[in-house]
Amino acid sequence: MQDLVLFVLLGLGAGSVIAGIALAVVITYRGSGIINLAIGAISMVAAYAFWALRSDFFGITLATVPAIVVVMLSSILVGVVSELLVFRPLRTSSPLAKLVASLGILLTLQATMLLWFGSASKQIPNVFPDDILQIFDTSIPANRFWMAAVVVVISLAVGAVYRWTRFGLATRAASENEVFAMLAGLSPNQLSMVNTLLASALAGAMGIIAAPLAQADSTTLVLFIVPALAAALFAGFTSLPIAVIAGFGIGIGQSLMFYASTLSWFPTEQGGNPLPGTQALLTFVLLVVALSLRGASLPTRGELVEKRLPEAPRPKHLARSAAVFGAIGVVLLVVLPFGYRQALMLSLIGMVLCLSLVVITGFVGQVSLAQVALAGVAGFVVSHMIVDAGIGFPWGPIAGSIAGVVVGLIVGASALRVRGVSLAVVTLAGVVAIEQFGFASKRWGAGSAGSPVEQPSLLGFDLGTTASYRGLDGKLPSPVLGFVFLACVIALCLLVAQIRRSVLGQQMLAVRANERAAAAAGINVARVKITAYAISSFIAGTAGWMYAYNFGSVSAARFGFLIALAFVAFAYIGGITMVSGAVIGGLVATEGLVPHFFQELLGISGNWTLLVGGLILIVTVIQNPEGVAGTTYRKRQASKRAKAAADVATETMARAGES
Amino acid sequence: MATEPTLQLEKLSAGYDAAAVVRELDLYVNPGEVVAMLGPNGAGKTTTLRAISGLLRPMNGVIRIDGIDIASKPPAARARDGIAHVPEGRGVFFGLTVAEHFRLGHRGEQLDVDAAYDHFPALAAIKDRRAGLLSGGEQQMLTLGRALARRPRLLLLDELSLGLAPVIVERLLPVVSTYAEESGCAVLLVEQHIHIALAVADRAYVLSHGEVIIHESAEKLRGDHQLILSGYLGEQETTATVSD
Repeated sequence: MQDLVLFVLLGLGAGSVIAGIALAVVITYRGSGIINLAIGAISMVAAYAFWALRSDFFGITLATVPAIVVVMLSSILVGVVSELLVFRPLRTSSPLAKLVASLGILLTLQATMLLWFGSASKQIPNVFPDDILQIFDTSIPANRFWMAAVVVVISLAVGAVYRWTRFGLATRAASENEVFAMLAGLSPNQLSMVNTLLASALAGAMGIIAAPLAQADSTTLVLFIVPALAAALFAGFTSLPIAVIAGFGIGIGQSLMFYASTLSWFPTEQGGNPLPGTQALLTFVLLVVALSLRGASLPTRGELVEKRLPEAPRPKHLARSAAVFGAIGVVLLVVLPFGYRQALMLSLIGMVLCLSLVVITGFVGQVSLAQVALAGVAGFVVSHMIVDAGIGFPWGPIAGSIAGVVVGLIVGASALRVRGVSLAVVTLAGVVAIEQFGFASKRWGAGSAGSPVEQPSLLGFDLGTTASYRGLDGKLPSPVLGFVFLACVIALCLLVAQIRRSVLGQQMLAVRANERAAAAAGINVARVKITAYAISSFIAGTAGWMYAYNFGSVSAARFGFLIALAFVAFAYIGGITMVSGAVIGGLVATEGLVPHFFQELLGISGNWTLLVGGLILIVTVIQNPEGVAGTTYRKRQASKRAKAAADVATETMARAGES
Repeated sequence: MATEPTLQLEKLSAGYDAAAVVRELDLYVNPGEVVAMLGPNGAGKTTTLRAISGLLRPMNGVIRIDGIDIASKPPAARARDGIAHVPEGRGVFFGLTVAEHFRLGHRGEQLDVDAAYDHFPALAAIKDRRAGLLSGGEQQMLTLGRALARRPRLLLLDELSLGLAPVIVERLLPVVSTYAEESGCAVLLVEQHIHIALAVADRAYVLSHGEVIIHESAEKLRGDHQLILSGYLGEQETTATVSD
């Protein structure tokens, strides 16, 4: 009992940070309709800045209070810059474009901090007294109460502002209906800006008070966005008090889970350690249960232009495109030097992952971030099949893809009542849970090391990276595995293109456009969604075992939370509604052909690549809010139409001349 | 005419996705005047209002308020300049209480709450209720009351009668005409119910397929149902002879 109280009180610490960031998430959403993944990253910036200002990094050391002031101002600056340069140009874009842009901000901030402060984590200076309190005969650091107090006071203040001031009133009105608000003389841009200021200041404050729990490093505070999003989702991205309470609840729940893991009944993995990742699992399960009980629909904003996903044109010339793509692929695999060859193979895998997103997000409109995790499931199944049961190619990959489908169907079934951005949040929590509970576990994942995968061979032919045929430069990896990948990519591209052309594809687009109207037209919405989940999970699973064979091992890091987000970004940038978009997405994916080219060309590496990648992501989203393939398609259509019009005009003139 | 019209449209063309819904529309509303815009579905009435309040960027033509071209102003700025647009449906915020609707304003704006409660005494009794919980008629009273409390110089009303009992509409519209007369506010009124609109209007335009086909005093139109009917049925030649 005593321990229980102790852990509840200790959970107040993480709870306050989660609650504070959740509050900032809700404020941002209400102010501008943006789900900003970068809010945790703003806390990270604040933590680094606070450390730097207090420890002579810039050549001066400020006292605590001035340092806090400067840190808050710089957090606000980060918020204002991202609002002006990123979110305002994207005002009329789809929510997915905004989500992708916010990911770009997150990556940019992360890279900037790493380049500036190095990869060693810094101790955030403590702002609270170091007292220890005695409660129920246990000792609890007083700072947990201080943290909770700060967050509660801020929440009450924010609540009062929203409840009673004219600004709060205006924000509530505009978040309900932007058009009516404009007609009432309120400027959505201004409201969005002020709310962003508020949210960034709040995020900055969280970076400072997190000192007892976290260090200033490139991930810890950034990742707080996941439980915070969960808390915000509990609150329907609307209610401030529920967001705060849910934030504290999740923090305390995680602390209690940690307590439970110290008890004797708690399941363990090899070596007697308690199962890892149960805290992430708890968040995910709570979220799914709450949402399926309540059904989640986020409030819409009654905007001027309804924001839709880009058009999904009917693919043409399948055989020709496949032949050209295949020929180019074979030639490149043979000719390219080993670095580029490896990049090309990773691009091929990236294309498969993007294809799975084309089906589920592009065609059916379900923003699933879980595809990379499904790929991971398949990869680990392939590894465990060979290691534990001695089953290899091709049965291992088949089993892997099937496992991907099974998990994908579970995700899909739990998401039948959840759609849009809520689904993105649920699947994000799912990714973190699968990563920490599944992949990082020694029992069914790989622990902290990787899990080996034997090279594939079929009927005595070696198909792996070490096959005897080595291309023109005679180095690893062998193009033979690349040929296998290429065949898979072409087959899957044709499959997805064919789906788009089939009746099923049309039903998917109908579901994407309007679920109710689709149901009214006699389409079984649930069946279409589940089918789409099955197909897209199968494709994602294929990518998973491709990774496994390519690297000869699988590890949790390759299927993590940031990678999952990044692939949605790549797919979106390429063009999430088109097969050609998936191909472009694969080319620009991490470690793919395009980044490799830039890396060789500019001679940059590591964190600089991350920084350039983040910036390019942002610029591309702003320039091509429909993705590269979508924008190209639209331009080509427009020029075709102009040409047709010109033809008609000349024809009419010619006829007029004749008569 | 000595006074300048409050609202003047010159050869206004507006529409969606490069397809013009309204073509070369000329229209004016004088201060204190109630002008009805009539016409069948798809005639371009709502599109015209949206262009005036700035929700839609016109393709061509000029919109003048008190003689000044307002092309460059965003919707919020136009609202601050005294254009009150009551959109189709219910222009209320469901999450805000009645009283909060009257506190909601742009910087420096003070709404004339007492006037609103004077116009619609029923609102005073429910001022702490959230707008989402009001009946359709009460919501429309709130919308109109809020628009009037802003003391606009141009009031744009879109289908005030939509989904309301005629008895309620007959209570709402006279308030509008009285207000226009007393304050000099120009009112442009879009209606499907012709007789309701003509009962309060001074003049009327009938639109069909984005063009004005009839422009007459309300009095004359009230007496000549055939004229309106021909406008709705698109018999333009007949109308030309009758209106001559």
